Amino acid sequence: MKRRAVCLFVSILIGGAGGTGAWAAGSKDKAETKEADAAGASADAAGGAEAPPPDTSGDLDLTDNKASEDAAATIKASSTLTWQDIVVIPRKRFLKGGRFEFSPFAGTSINDILIQHYVFGLDLNFFITDAFSIGLQGDYYVKQLTDRESLIGLQYNRIPTLNRYLWSGLLNFGYVPAYGKFALFNKSIVHWEIVVSGGVGITQTEIIPRNISFEAFKTNAITPDVGIGSRFFLFDWLTVNYMFRDYIILDKYEPLNRSASMYASATEAKAHADSKLVNNIMFYVGVGVFLPTSFQYKTPR
Amino acid sequence: MMKRIALTFLLASTAPFALPSSPAHAEHKSPLADAPAIRKRVELRDKRFEIGIGAGSTLNETFYHGVMLNGHLAFHITDWLAIGGAGLFSATAIATGFHDELTSTLKSPQGLDAARAPNAAEAGAGMNKPSMILAGQIELTPFTGKFALFGGLFAHYDFYLYGGPAFVTLAKASGSDPSVPACKDKALAADGINNTCYTTGSTVGATFGGGIHSYFNDWFGLTLDLRDVLAKDNPAGRDVNGDQVADKRDLTWSAHWVVTVNATLLFPKADISP
Repeated sequence: MKRRAVCLFVSILIGGAGGTGAWAAGSKDKAETKEADAAGASADAAGGAEAPPPDTSGDLDLTDNKASEDAAATIKASSTLTWQDIVVIPRKRFLKGGRFEFSPFAGTSINDILIQHYVFGLDLNFFITDAFSIGLQGDYYVKQLTDRESLIGLQYNRIPTLNRYLWSGLLNFGYVPAYGKFALFNKSIVHWEIVVSGGVGITQTEIIPRNISFEAFKTNAITPDVGIGSRFFLFDWLTVNYMFRDYIILDKYEPLNRSASMYASATEAKAHADSKLVNNIMFYVGVGVFLPTSFQYKTPR
Repeated sequence: MMKRIALTFLLASTAPFALPSSPAHAEHKSPLADAPAIRKRVELRDKRFEIGIGAGSTLNETFYHGVMLNGHLAFHITDWLAIGGAGLFSATAIATGFHDELTSTLKSPQGLDAARAPNAAEAGAGMNKPSMILAGQIELTPFTGKFALFGGLFAHYDFYLYGGPAFVTLAKASGSDPSVPACKDKALAADGINNTCYTTGSTVGATFGGGIHSYFNDWFGLTLDLRDVLAKDNPAGRDVNGDQVADKRDLTWSAHWVVTVNATLLFPKADISP
């Protein structure tokens, strides 16, 4: 019996300590809270043990006594401070002007039924204003031939003429024409914006010889590009982005009449290559890390 | 004995957390805590019907892009949940660049090539396209908001996702060739003429997709929709499984992506949220 009583006493002590900790954690967040607590304490001291409990409704009888007046003032101050958080026109959630964005991304091509390219890249943008940016993009591509490509030989006794992309580097200009926010099940608000972008660069491509015994050749193709996508703002320094980008590649393909006796070497084949304008549409997602990691509003709230 | 002590310990140590907060703590709660993100908003979807009419195009067809007319009907059970259906009907088809390049090399196969490659007419007679897609779908609208275009034009919008069963009707894509039959369940290599066959008729598949509503006012808007329709198909009408004959055993699950733009009407009158 004695052991059980000791056990219960220790348990209550531990529980009480835990409860106090939770209590402390709940009331440490704001200075105004501490001030209110202090004022409340002084009100208690003035009113003694018979001071009425504070009325949280905000509708107090201010004619009662001094203690009540103090308590009312305290609560009024507290709720006024909290309501100051609500403004008629909130400021923009995120400022980008004068900041750098490092944005690694990964994606895939979406418009070629014979060969699919996966892209891994990095965007480095500098925001001149909140809406305009200038940036560099680097891409590395990995190819994968599709099922349709493998069926061409079986079904039509033909081998497609295909190129693969190796890498690209581009100079892009970005503009933000639209921004918005959405509510997730009407519980939380997420800010986002639409980005359009365009520029020019170089893509290095390589032919995939129809006859694997033939030598491949590479081409550094001029590549204008246009894109449209979005940024979703998570923190002051982090966004999640997606983009559809059309890389318009002026590419060179293996000559159709290439054989062991004609254009067998890579140099000859490239000299007689078929030029073609190709739209390589990629979809990619990434994250944007902004530097500096914080920003300051320049206008009053 | 130990069990009772453990229970006592558990109750004692958790009791302070289970106690209701005191008034002193309640008074410091933000007035915005637990409040909805948007008050007094126009309930654009809740308990409303939606009718959409528009047009679109297939995106990833191998041989023919389909230009589709589109209709959509839905009832929004809540702000974020709806049940509906959609119908897409082929208006016309446009040959893809791949189709043109391929058939240009099949004009007149000669010698050994002729034994393994179809001529352009035979190849074309085996090709098919989706002519009608009927879909039933459950629709979720988790994201709603508004945006500003060029800082001046404001509009409400929402993103939605959906999924459900689909009934796909396939039709021959181009001219017929009497030497090309409809696909049999099981053809034999000994038949000798079954290198190409065409697949038509209805099949059951599935659909999923998503899109965005952009509202001009509380009863009229524009909808951009991207849908994938999965169905068993053999769009080339040629051997796929490598058994040297073309038949229904060569059907494989194929994805048909369709993008559509709809004019959307919503009724009855929209309510205002608390």
